[in-house]
Amino acid sequence: MSEKRGQVPFPERAGAALKDAYLQEALGIATTKFIDLRREAFEGFPQGDALRDRARSIKEATLQRLDHYLGLLADNVERLGGHVHWAGTGEEAREIVLRLCRDRGVKMAVKSKSMATEEIDLNEALEHAGVTPIETDLGEYIIQLAHEKPSHIIAPAIHKTKSQVAELFSKELKGRFAADPEVLTAVARKELRQKFLQADMGITGANFAVADTGTLVLVTNEGNGRMVTSLPRIHVAVMGMEKVIPSMIDLMVFLAILARSATGQKLSSYTTLVRGPRLPGELEGPEELHLILMDNGRVRQVAGPLREALYCLRCGACLNVCPVYRQIGGHAYGHTYPGPIGILLTAMLKGDRSVKELAHASSLCGACKDVCPVRIDIPRMLVELRDQLDRGRIAPWRERMVFRAARRGMQSPTLFRLGARMGRLLQRPFLHGGRLRRLPLFFGQWTATRDLPAVAAKTFSERWKDLGTP
Amino acid sequence: MTTRAEFLGRVRTEMAKTRGLFSATPSPRPGHPREAAETVRRQLAERWPPALDRFRAEFERVAGVFHRVPSLVEVPALLARIAAVTGAREVVGWEAGALGWDLSAALTPLGLTVRSAPGGDGDAERLRHREEAARAPLGITGVDWALAETGTLIIASGPGRPRSTSLLPDTHVAVFGPGHLVESLEQVGLLLEAFHADGGAAVRGGTIAFITGPSRTADIELTLTRGVHGPKEVHAVFVDTLGGPA
Repeated sequence: MSEKRGQVPFPERAGAALKDAYLQEALGIATTKFIDLRREAFEGFPQGDALRDRARSIKEATLQRLDHYLGLLADNVERLGGHVHWAGTGEEAREIVLRLCRDRGVKMAVKSKSMATEEIDLNEALEHAGVTPIETDLGEYIIQLAHEKPSHIIAPAIHKTKSQVAELFSKELKGRFAADPEVLTAVARKELRQKFLQADMGITGANFAVADTGTLVLVTNEGNGRMVTSLPRIHVAVMGMEKVIPSMIDLMVFLAILARSATGQKLSSYTTLVRGPRLPGELEGPEELHLILMDNGRVRQVAGPLREALYCLRCGACLNVCPVYRQIGGHAYGHTYPGPIGILLTAMLKGDRSVKELAHASSLCGACKDVCPVRIDIPRMLVELRDQLDRGRIAPWRERMVFRAARRGMQSPTLFRLGARMGRLLQRPFLHGGRLRRLPLFFGQWTATRDLPAVAAKTFSERWKDLGTP
Repeated sequence: MTTRAEFLGRVRTEMAKTRGLFSATPSPRPGHPREAAETVRRQLAERWPPALDRFRAEFERVAGVFHRVPSLVEVPALLARIAAVTGAREVVGWEAGALGWDLSAALTPLGLTVRSAPGGDGDAERLRHREEAARAPLGITGVDWALAETGTLIIASGPGRPRSTSLLPDTHVAVFGPGHLVESLEQVGLLLEAFHADGGAAVRGGTIAFITGPSRTADIELTLTRGVHGPKEVHAVFVDTLGGPA
């Protein structure tokens, strides 16, 4: 579970990722490819920027009348014969799914990719209750067979080679399969097709929910979203409550930018609009539809410092451009949501304390904000989060001490001059080619992976004085 | 367990603490959705040829196979050719009422067995049709709209038009005419507003699928692979003289 992985300290997780040569190569190739595809998609789409502004505005407007839209969504889903459940916590959401499984004798559930169910560790809970959950997104399926966790929101198995997948399939599915993506995909198709037809329950998340019509929207490339909402007799959707949007007109704005941001496609292969269970006279589709609207830390951010993170579409664009994510990959973050937005979402779901180290896993370069389809100001919130951690005395004490001393020093001209003079003297043994490397004591942790510019021979004020200007 | 009142109560408590980040509004919506949709349709009736060119370009870009024939008369032979390539002897397809023409009457003389979605929604019919759809190599449908901007087939489910026809067979063929063409997502938004107007009186099924090319994945080493769950091939058959949606 994500908690357990979180117990290894972040620097060690990140260190391990940096030493993993294959991961480094795979991350480099994947993130660069996604960046290129996204850029090309928006280059040929002049209205893209205006649509991003509109999308941002729609998200903010929805939050400003959130109670109205959530109520309207629930009313419409119920009017169509669906059931709406309200979950204050992840535990409650899990309990609702488990109760449905128990009451309806569910033995197997097929899942299309859903971050919300990852967030609440639903698979573990289902297994524990004797229900077999089957992930059907190919990447997620691979991860599930390998008992691992996704490393990227959009490409969950980018850290695995085709040979590893072939080996895994050969072992788990009893066969001998070539290390060829085409072959392996065909194997998964055959295997999962049976599961789709057998399963009693389909579990999904939702990319959007349209309040005005009571429509849940699922975006996939593989078609598994359509399978799990068409074939099993029960459909359960677990959705973060912030996914609600007002109307179909708004939905089109989001569709125009979501796939472009994620994979550079104009639209993903399948966008599925689900509105209630099957209607009278309709041959296929679930008899029952359940929508679980989940809070799990989200609602308090409506007025909280992370409000803007509630706009997030989970496209993954900010992961690909993040210099930290590109180096360490998703696993090192240790939680369901990786990357820059993941730090904020983790703080939202699990509290500030859970990201006391991760809050610093960003260079604040701002690339994430530039590519975000709804222009979420991630760097601003990261800085505020760091401030919050410092005020709450959650940051490590040494770090707080050093930064406090630095602040004091920079506020007083006398102390600053004294500091500069002392620095020039003390740095001598550690200077290598004009840079400070390998500092002693706990400062060594800083210089283990970076260097510092040397303290200059003269401060600006000293040089100014030397110029002798009036 | 949290009740609706408790949940929305918490939401309201938080909302009361803030005026939000900036002044914002959702997208403006048509006051009269049906009239707005009618205007879109009227405009499109005159300018469908360029929309068709765009549709074809985008559809082929996402690996769709495009065909164009002058009239319905040519359609059975074309479908038979596609079936021959896929090795299909059996096809599943929409019922005549949903399709606007009789698939069974068209293909049976050419030696193909057509399994249309049976009327009714009983369990026996459901299971039988599911097996037929899972077995058939070819699924034939109409569309509600064909979206030029992205090369997308938009298909609502309903009686006689099962969800699985465009999903379970290895090859999906959609047959449509000028009246189905739509230029932009924005227009689709207006059409969907009208489709759901008056409490959704026009809606007869639970899903609307936007299909943009075959099923695809790049989950193994980012290698693009088609047909992971849904069809490996998607064909669009454009019939110049076929009528639009009712």
